[in-house]
Amino acid sequence: MDIIGQENINQMNTQKICQRCVLPENKPDVWLNERKICNICIEYEKTKSAQGDNKVLETDFIKMLNQYKGKAKYDCLVMCSGGKDSTSALYYMKRRYKLNPLAFTFDHGFETEDAMENVRNAVETLGVDFLFFKTDFMKDMFSEILKTNSKAVICHPCSIWYMGLTFDMAARFNIPIIIAGWTKGQSTKQPTMSKCGCNIHQKEFYAMAKSTREFLDSYTKKHSKYKNFSKSMEEVLIRAKKKNKCIVLSPHWFLPFDTMAYVEIIKKELKWKPPRLSYPKKTTNCYLNFISVYNSMKHYGYTHYHVEASKLIREGLLSREEALKSLEINFDKELLNKIAKKLDYRFD
Amino acid sequence: MNILGISCYYHDAAACLISNGKLVAAAQEERFSRIKNSLDFPINAINYCIQAGEITFSDIDCVVFYEKPFLKFSRVVISHLKAYPFSFKNFLETMPNWLKDRLITPLVLKKEIGYKGRVLFIKHHLSHAASSFLVSPFEKAAILTADGVGEWATMTYGVGQGNQITILKEICYPDSLGLLYTAVTTYLGFRPLRGEGKVMGLAGCGKSRYVDKFRKIVQVRPDGSFRLDQRYFGFNKGLRMYSVKFIRLFGRARSPEGKIEERHCDIAASLQQFIEEILVGIVRQLYNKTKNDNLCLAGGLFLNCVANHRILKETPFKNIFVQPAAGDSGGALGAALYVYNTILKNSRNYVMHHAYFGPDFSTAQIKMALLKHGLSFREINNQLLFKYIARELSQDKIIGWFQGRMEFGPRALGNRSILANPCNPDIKELLNSKVKKRESFRPYAPAVLEEKAQEFFELQHLSPFMLLAAKVRADKKNLIPGVIHVDGSARVQSVNKDANSKFWYLIKEFENITGVPILVNTSFNLKGEPIVCTPEDAIKCFQRSEMDYLVLENCVVEKK
Repeated sequence: MDIIGQENINQMNTQKICQRCVLPENKPDVWLNERKICNICIEYEKTKSAQGDNKVLETDFIKMLNQYKGKAKYDCLVMCSGGKDSTSALYYMKRRYKLNPLAFTFDHGFETEDAMENVRNAVETLGVDFLFFKTDFMKDMFSEILKTNSKAVICHPCSIWYMGLTFDMAARFNIPIIIAGWTKGQSTKQPTMSKCGCNIHQKEFYAMAKSTREFLDSYTKKHSKYKNFSKSMEEVLIRAKKKNKCIVLSPHWFLPFDTMAYVEIIKKELKWKPPRLSYPKKTTNCYLNFISVYNSMKHYGYTHYHVEASKLIREGLLSREEALKSLEINFDKELLNKIAKKLDYRFD
Repeated sequence: MNILGISCYYHDAAACLISNGKLVAAAQEERFSRIKNSLDFPINAINYCIQAGEITFSDIDCVVFYEKPFLKFSRVVISHLKAYPFSFKNFLETMPNWLKDRLITPLVLKKEIGYKGRVLFIKHHLSHAASSFLVSPFEKAAILTADGVGEWATMTYGVGQGNQITILKEICYPDSLGLLYTAVTTYLGFRPLRGEGKVMGLAGCGKSRYVDKFRKIVQVRPDGSFRLDQRYFGFNKGLRMYSVKFIRLFGRARSPEGKIEERHCDIAASLQQFIEEILVGIVRQLYNKTKNDNLCLAGGLFLNCVANHRILKETPFKNIFVQPAAGDSGGALGAALYVYNTILKNSRNYVMHHAYFGPDFSTAQIKMALLKHGLSFREINNQLLFKYIARELSQDKIIGWFQGRMEFGPRALGNRSILANPCNPDIKELLNSKVKKRESFRPYAPAVLEEKAQEFFELQHLSPFMLLAAKVRADKKNLIPGVIHVDGSARVQSVNKDANSKFWYLIKEFENITGVPILVNTSFNLKGEPIVCTPEDAIKCFQRSEMDYLVLENCVVEKK
């Protein structure tokens, strides 16, 4: 098998990598000191010792849920991708917190069959209402990123789009809470994302976010189809605030259970199956994710998964060894081209 | 059926979860908040109990509070009125707390945990009584409870049979042995509700030549009951719990930083002896009334292991049970069990054989914490671990021993313990200088294999919760100089193989090397801090002290 990312792994091996987390040096945003520790880890230690342990409890989550429980037909809108984190979030909302959730899944044409089957099983077993949205709307933009060899990370405009869509759906059904399955590594600021902004403002994301912004600025001007497309997550949040004052929460920020524990529950109770094909290992993502990872490695030497894993390592929730293992590139060119074919593109 | 028991707002806040009559989780708030003796609403402990019990907050059928707030409030108001105008400042300081949360527990529960169901309140001393009798191995037993003060009662005695408890007599505020002990604790320069154990330790160093003076200020009646002469005390009058008259009688109070003189040791010894005499008298009366061989003790006063052993030795009771969280934290347990067994009339189906009801941590979590702190470690299988650590202990190394679920109650019983070699006569100084920084007069306790306890100590009964102090047998004194108090006693923990097999095997290995089936066992904390709860706490404690090894489950860290 021709492992497409091998040259990038080799590149990472020769790159200087932080000895505490898994971020490679990427100046000027990420740099290593003489002990080979990155500025992000050093900054984290400083902030942590200044702030102390800021523990959040499940009851903090319950307090927020109780503010809105029973005030609308649906208590919350759960963004469900079929992955372990979002499926368990849906499970918790229905079974642990006895809420009436509306499950929401979108498919931009690149979702995997495994993920969709997990979603179907979950909503059927839990007996929750389900909103499924399938569209080709983003296809042209994705295609443009590839064809122009843009440094924009495909996942970023996609996240901006689906977050906006989710806020729209919440507004349409007057739902006060959006539940995401984000882990502690996927957001810098807690407990509510809508109040605090999101993690693309982290230094590790500067270069990626800048390229995405530049791409969106020029591309959306040229294409009337995307004229109302938000240029950043910040803009999504500002727009959402005007429409509907809903908050975004993740149960995983508040619960002490580790991934293994809730994976076991959803396997048993919701017939959840781990994906056959995934990157990073043991995660569920869409097919475009492989292309996004490839491009990120090519342009930046790391991906947003490296950022997430690094944050989990700093929080003591993931070991560096495990992170490095799960981040090994494990897919081939054939797969990339099969996916890219839908976007009229071919990797050489 | 899931019952959540809560105790808080005075000291040692705690929560516990009873599922179908069985205790599934219990912990003190201080272990999570890291504030020693925390009195706050135990939000962390409650979160832990629900998650450890594998239930959800909506599965709670009933919440039980360990005392009756309005009854207690009446005592506070009346006693402040009686002491007016001296009590005015105290009154102003106390009232906001009552109005903020203490009188509105159901609202606090709704706000803090979203609970809107039934909330029950059980009398403070009834909670204590239930916390001991309902988890004891006895079908029928006499019960004695004593502490500072609950609502009005400061001491109660009664009888328990099956799932019923009958209180026969109450002694009420301000006549309180607990408050007397605390008043003298503050007089001797120690902190109230923390320093009582130190006074007990100090007592072993002194002569009881002030007992007559205590007899003067506490009138003991023929039935064993007693009355404190209030002219010597000032419970609500200001900042001090004792009066000028008390100072005139006993001399100048010791300041917290002051030198400990012989007089201070003698006062402590006299207080200890006097309290023991009163307790023995009351217990004898209780035996005459109940004619039962079994005795259950509860309340903060019975954390006094010296008094407990004397009661056992000098009264006709043959069996004694003291629950490990005998103080107010155990009130949460008693209140919850009282509702399940006594009010709801469910038969008793649970005996408390061990105290391990707190959080535990997986090896993966432990490794993660070690890696996060950049500590290199070795993972060793049990057999090798016991051999290796026992050998290091025999060579006078000090070990931080972190295993399984955290203990409920104030004692470290082999899961959150610092261990050392009892054969070394200088081990106390070594522990004090390297880790604990304790007062030199305080002894360290031995943990002994249950099977060998009587061989080394004059102990007729088991002491699994370290709540009995017994004399070390004369022929063994030279073997374990590190755990003998100056009065020749030791606060013994008898270790049962089933209750804590890892600890038992470690001691056994130590015996194989040294011939002594005993280890020094002291709580895993630094001075002024609560016992460690998480691997993170243990690592921080290890890093800030001069412990030689840290053992987190099977991961061993050596201090470089």
